[in-house]
Amino acid sequence: MTRRIAAALTPLALLLASPAAALAIETNKEFKPQNEFKLDPLVEIKLGPVDLSITKAVIYLFLAAIATCLTMVLIARRMGQEKPGRMETAIEAAYDLTNSQITRGNIDSPRMAGKWFAFIATLFFFIWFNNMIGYIPLPTNTEHPIEILGLSIPSFALYAATANISVPLALTLVVWFSYHVEGIRAKGPIKYLKGWIPAGVQGKIVPFVFIIEVLSQLVRLVSLSARLFANILAGHLLILLMAGGMVVLLGVSIGLIGSVILGVFTGGIAILFYLFEVGLVASLQAYIFATLTAIYLGEAVAEEH
Amino acid sequence: MEALDLLVPLIAQQDGKAIALGLGTGLGAIGPGAGVGYIFGKTIESVTRQPEMRDEIQSIMWLGFALTEAIVFYALMMSLVAFFLAG
Repeated sequence: MTRRIAAALTPLALLLASPAAALAIETNKEFKPQNEFKLDPLVEIKLGPVDLSITKAVIYLFLAAIATCLTMVLIARRMGQEKPGRMETAIEAAYDLTNSQITRGNIDSPRMAGKWFAFIATLFFFIWFNNMIGYIPLPTNTEHPIEILGLSIPSFALYAATANISVPLALTLVVWFSYHVEGIRAKGPIKYLKGWIPAGVQGKIVPFVFIIEVLSQLVRLVSLSARLFANILAGHLLILLMAGGMVVLLGVSIGLIGSVILGVFTGGIAILFYLFEVGLVASLQAYIFATLTAIYLGEAVAEEH
Repeated sequence: MEALDLLVPLIAQQDGKAIALGLGTGLGAIGPGAGVGYIFGKTIESVTRQPEMRDEIQSIMWLGFALTEAIVFYALMMSLVAFFLAG
């Protein structure tokens, strides 16, 4: 069976692999996948040089912020009830995940954990809602508007505010400055900087280790923001290309029947990727961001490494 | 003929960018691919050895998985920078 499939697929593979065939493939130059992530101002607000226009990313951020506020209020109201229903169980689970697992599991001192729990839980829910709202088709795409009764309505599209580098970067900067400030407040500047050098390092090697530690602190800025941004961006790009972008790009050279075959094939892959992104990546990235925040905070105030 | 002379370097540059995007992402996927496989393999090993530790091992596994998987996206991001921003 496997051999028969392999025999059937060999000519196709050869065709795609041969340089002549690859050169003969024409692509649709009008379709630009990157425009799906372009931010056109919907409401223009300009204060001098500062551009505060409301783009679709801002709408997504507002939605996520509202959802986060509602969730936090709900958790605060419904915790510890006598007869837990299904809603209460879900809320208990969310509280347990953010409190016991993420915050208290990574910050040793209970006083610090209590102080920063609200911040870490808010980060978790904000990023999670941002990611999840990003997988609901919303009418925000101004690139290809639909004309109904003379009105141009934006078409439905998948977009996530976290697929834009500025959102994760702003969150990362907040986290970065808070853990440094908290560390300096707990130990004082000199002792805090000394705490960066691992225990047991002595003698002439100390300055080199210190420089490497300074670099690693700076790299955290990039790694924490880029992890979230690139994961979500890559997920959306994959879904976009599989759910039709590929067919549009190659449609001019493979003809109608080829387009249909390719479309059915990549459409199935698109559904799989969509489920993977919604089921795993969106939650996992929010979890990782919150966990790393807790780890950095705990490390900054810990007495010994 | 003059138009062609102007066009040829432009096409070559576009092709170079496409090669950079493909090669960068592809090579960047090798390491994390091996790493993610290693993490899941080790988790299976640990869980079969100590099934009662399953929950704890799994939470560490997801942390390691996300940290490793992100490296592909660093490569992809740098390749996209090369594709869209480089001269």
